[in-house]
Amino acid sequence: MVTLQLVGSLRKELADSLSTCRLLVVGAGGIGCELLKNVVLTGFKNIEVIDLDIIDVSNLNRQFLFQKKHVGKSKAQVAKESVLQFCPTANITAYHDSIMNPDYNVEFFRNFMLVMNALDNRAARNHVNRMCLAADIPLIESGTAGYLGQVTVIKKGLTECYECQPKPTQKTFPGCTIRNTPSEPIHCIVWAKYLFNQLFGEEDADQEVSPDTADPELSWNPADTETRATASDQDGDIKRVSTKAWARSTGYDPVKLFNKLFKDDIQYLLTMDKLWKKRKAPLPLDWPEHQKLTCPQGVTGMGLKDQRVFGVAGYCQLFSRSVETLHSMLADKGDGAEEWIWMGNCDDPPAMDFVTAAANLRMYIFSMNMKSRFDIKSMAGNIIPAIATTNAVIAGLIVLEALKILSGDVEQCRTIFLNKQPNPRKKLLVPCALDPPSANCYVCASKPEVTVKLNVHKTLVLALQDKILKEKFGMVAPDVQIEDGKGTILISSEEGETEANNCKFLSDFAIRNGSRLQVDDFLQDYTLLVNVIHCENLEKDVEFEVVGDAPDKAPAPTRSQEEGKNVANGNKESSEPSTSSEAPAEQNDILLVDSDEEVPSSSTMAVSMESGGHKRKLHDAETGEASAKRQHLSQPSADDDNDIIALD
Amino acid sequence: MAATKTAKEQKYDRQLRLWGDHGQEELENAHVCLINSTASGTEILKNLVLPGIGAFTIVDGHKVSGEDVGNNFFLSNNSIGRNRAQAATELLQELNTDVSGNFVEESPDKLLDNDPEFFHRFTLVIGVQLPESTCLRLGSVLWNANVPFLVCRTYGLVGYMRLVVKEHTVIESHPDNALEDLRLDQPFAELKSHIQSYDLEGMGKKDHGHTPWIIIVAKYLEKWFSEHNFQLPKNYKEKEAFKQLIRQGILKNEKGTPEVEENFEEAIKNVNTALNPTKISSGVDDLFNGEQCNAITSQTPAFWVMTRAVREFVQNDGGGNLPVRGSIPDMIADSEKFINLQNVYREKAMQDASVVSKHVESLLQSVGKPSGSISEQDIKLFCKNAAFLRVVRCRSLAEEYSVETVNKDAITCSMDGADGEMVLYLMLRSVDRFYQQHSRYPGVYNYQVEEDISKLKLCVNSLLQEYGLNVSVKDDYIHELYVFCRYGAAEPHTVASFLGGSAAQEAIKLITRQFVPFNNTFVYNAMSQTTATFQL
Repeated sequence: MVTLQLVGSLRKELADSLSTCRLLVVGAGGIGCELLKNVVLTGFKNIEVIDLDIIDVSNLNRQFLFQKKHVGKSKAQVAKESVLQFCPTANITAYHDSIMNPDYNVEFFRNFMLVMNALDNRAARNHVNRMCLAADIPLIESGTAGYLGQVTVIKKGLTECYECQPKPTQKTFPGCTIRNTPSEPIHCIVWAKYLFNQLFGEEDADQEVSPDTADPELSWNPADTETRATASDQDGDIKRVSTKAWARSTGYDPVKLFNKLFKDDIQYLLTMDKLWKKRKAPLPLDWPEHQKLTCPQGVTGMGLKDQRVFGVAGYCQLFSRSVETLHSMLADKGDGAEEWIWMGNCDDPPAMDFVTAAANLRMYIFSMNMKSRFDIKSMAGNIIPAIATTNAVIAGLIVLEALKILSGDVEQCRTIFLNKQPNPRKKLLVPCALDPPSANCYVCASKPEVTVKLNVHKTLVLALQDKILKEKFGMVAPDVQIEDGKGTILISSEEGETEANNCKFLSDFAIRNGSRLQVDDFLQDYTLLVNVIHCENLEKDVEFEVVGDAPDKAPAPTRSQEEGKNVANGNKESSEPSTSSEAPAEQNDILLVDSDEEVPSSSTMAVSMESGGHKRKLHDAETGEASAKRQHLSQPSADDDNDIIALD
Repeated sequence: MAATKTAKEQKYDRQLRLWGDHGQEELENAHVCLINSTASGTEILKNLVLPGIGAFTIVDGHKVSGEDVGNNFFLSNNSIGRNRAQAATELLQELNTDVSGNFVEESPDKLLDNDPEFFHRFTLVIGVQLPESTCLRLGSVLWNANVPFLVCRTYGLVGYMRLVVKEHTVIESHPDNALEDLRLDQPFAELKSHIQSYDLEGMGKKDHGHTPWIIIVAKYLEKWFSEHNFQLPKNYKEKEAFKQLIRQGILKNEKGTPEVEENFEEAIKNVNTALNPTKISSGVDDLFNGEQCNAITSQTPAFWVMTRAVREFVQNDGGGNLPVRGSIPDMIADSEKFINLQNVYREKAMQDASVVSKHVESLLQSVGKPSGSISEQDIKLFCKNAAFLRVVRCRSLAEEYSVETVNKDAITCSMDGADGEMVLYLMLRSVDRFYQQHSRYPGVYNYQVEEDISKLKLCVNSLLQEYGLNVSVKDDYIHELYVFCRYGAAEPHTVASFLGGSAAQEAIKLITRQFVPFNNTFVYNAMSQTTATFQL
């Protein structure tokens, strides 16, 4: 009965193959919900769905398989139950788990005829891409952000893989910019998030918030250090025990916290006068003495409370109140479970209040224009706007591409971009022929190889593992062997075998310019040959550089014209909704793509990009956007709240 | 303070980021009518119920069939035999308790016979899978009642939408890449004196490096004007020369090498857009000269009263310019300088808006309406968006279908288009003709497919002949004939899902009066994943 409708319009054999096809849907969020509905109603019978996430209130405006009563439950599980209510004949298996869990190995992927991604983060997308390549299973990749969306098909040996086009690395900020010399609101927001974790969450050495005396800008002047040492003696508070221990010792007194963070620490920063030669010096704040804070001043904008910007006094008050609330919440939780981490849970009001207040106070201190809670939430959580309509469109497109694959017409598949509105050529959708695999892709080439510039005397084995192999090259559990003729094992994925190496430098293992490392990820069935180039003069704060990679500069334009509007230093009139997917997605990655060069490869249909503009900014949030095919779903985060990718 | 968030704000957080709380309010006040809760119908409605429209009413005289259950997520096996409007309402209602769901167990034709005014109450009527005759009848009722009508259809692997609205005005069109409204070529008095309060030569190094780029450009523009007979730098060469002028202003250290001054770099970068002459776009000018703007009556909608008031402002107070928008882009500057500059623009914008508001008041008075009937807030929003006002006027269905007024040019021109969506449009018109003659769609019964192909061919030919369409790409439509007969009027779910998303998106644009809806026909080819819009 289900397939009746399709028999009319599709071949009978296809309809039959749907009922035997085993399908894996990765993600049960915005696109995932739509997709599950579409596949069962198109006649797929055997479906497995995996999602590690639980349902949040802010999902309900589009993830229609969930209702209020489901908040807090497993997305995969509830999605399965809801679909079965409507289509009891479907055979659905749900996993409340991460697809990156080693249980889902190549064998697992080989069970399927087709995999559909409905994901929200690049790490998982990279991983599924590799698993599908290893298992040689076709993959349909997709993403949405606001009104924009994208669908593409990946088939080993035939098309580009997800990683063929280098994507800009996620934007990170150097520690000393966050701790000493913030110059943009986002730096203050990141600082406030770190501060939250330091005070109320799990302390992380990489998330230090106090002034950094090891700032390379100062390190070579011993006299300065001395002055600062004196300053530090004079003011006991600056002695760094642990931020949290200190806060606890004050009983989380908001005024004491305030004075330390916004006055003493800033005064301390001022002693590092080198930093302020060319910058505007920060202005230490005094706790407003007379408590004349009852009414927030300087209310800008209208509309939602969230969208207003209050004056300094207002944020002082918000700071003090949120500290009190969070402290009492900490106390309520008792000793054992006293930590909760900033998981990007922007929908937690007291945490968000704290971050809003602390970030704004710091922005004020550093002469930036303060931002509304609404905007800060966007930036802190990288929140990407998401609506039902776009997901419905994209999920519809995905299934149609799936039907082509199952009828053996992979060549007919397209990368499809969904525009916000019909482009000047009156096209809402822009389909482009799929590109062949890139010969030097470090993932899908027959012998993947890559060259990395780093300083062998300064790079720890642990950094090689975590920052380069895992973070940059997307591996889950790498094994590294040095091609030194002896086959020295540098890193083993077996626990306990090579931990001793972690804190040694690469040069300790005779790795030098020209050394080659063979890196294996057993789970991903992936081998990568890494050529090391020793380099003494990498840019400040750059630990390594991948040769031939997309320059990281391009994607992080300070403020191109278009962005300016959205990333405004905060005094944007808030009557205007923070619309346009641009704003938030922006923190993630953006590619500047010259759309003029985009002519669909072959394609019987003369489709060309909307090439009205010169450089078009492509954000890519849940997806890439629609104007240039080069842009491949970098960093997409499937809609949702999981699109919350910590910036750090 | 900002601490309490209502449950609604939390639930709708991700969409408020697209259309704001005022857009959401419009949505929550809307009552949408859906005719026929087929797969496409319920998919559209689902995408409107989730973001929280105020109410919906389904009109459907059909009983739920097994086929319905097969492709419609909001109908289940145990609803077979029940009225389709009722069954679908129950399940759609579950999606969002904020929405009020209603149903009428009657066919649209019956309602049109007995109570055509029934349809007047809706914010928007969405008609799905309607036969041509019903569509035209309903179209004319809604046209006369000024109710927007969105016609939607899924036919095999083809999706179709037609928007029928006499006039849809948009204040917030959210244009991409809009230029800032800085008035540097014609600074207003307050801006002039603010610029004068800066002395780039006399100020200290820190202040120099934190002066907003707008001030820098304005300063050097004064210099340029005095040397160039008050003409803006126009061509590339002059703009380069102007940039050079700014570059020379960068401070130098003792050794004579220029310092790094990011604000100056920013000024240079912004020269091109900042020097665009302030002027009124032809689109807005057309609105000023339109009939609605000239003849204000007590019936004139607020949009046109405000447009007229802005026109008065332009002619009498603004020296030929629109009210100042009042926003400036983000830039390198210290807070104080930035906020001061921003206030200059913001205050001017408020002043301008209050002048416009006076015009609104006297216009309202002149037609005997209370002066408060258009709120200050609306006027402010209007002034802020005055440069981006849009009006969409669709042709009626009657005009599209009448032999006298058919847009032949649009059809013949689009036949050359490589994607062939126009052929699909003509095929849809032909299957309607088939339906009129045979009371069924072609290819619904397998044994009739061959026979139906030749019958459909006759329909295509008579359609082309009747409209005098000299269309030469015959091969295309012969291929489509076969395909269309194979569709058998089926409504595959995945195509319905696509259409459901696209149609709901247009509905949201219409309801929130934000973003610009398409005008007026949209065709989707699911095989090639292509789309096209036509003005028919």
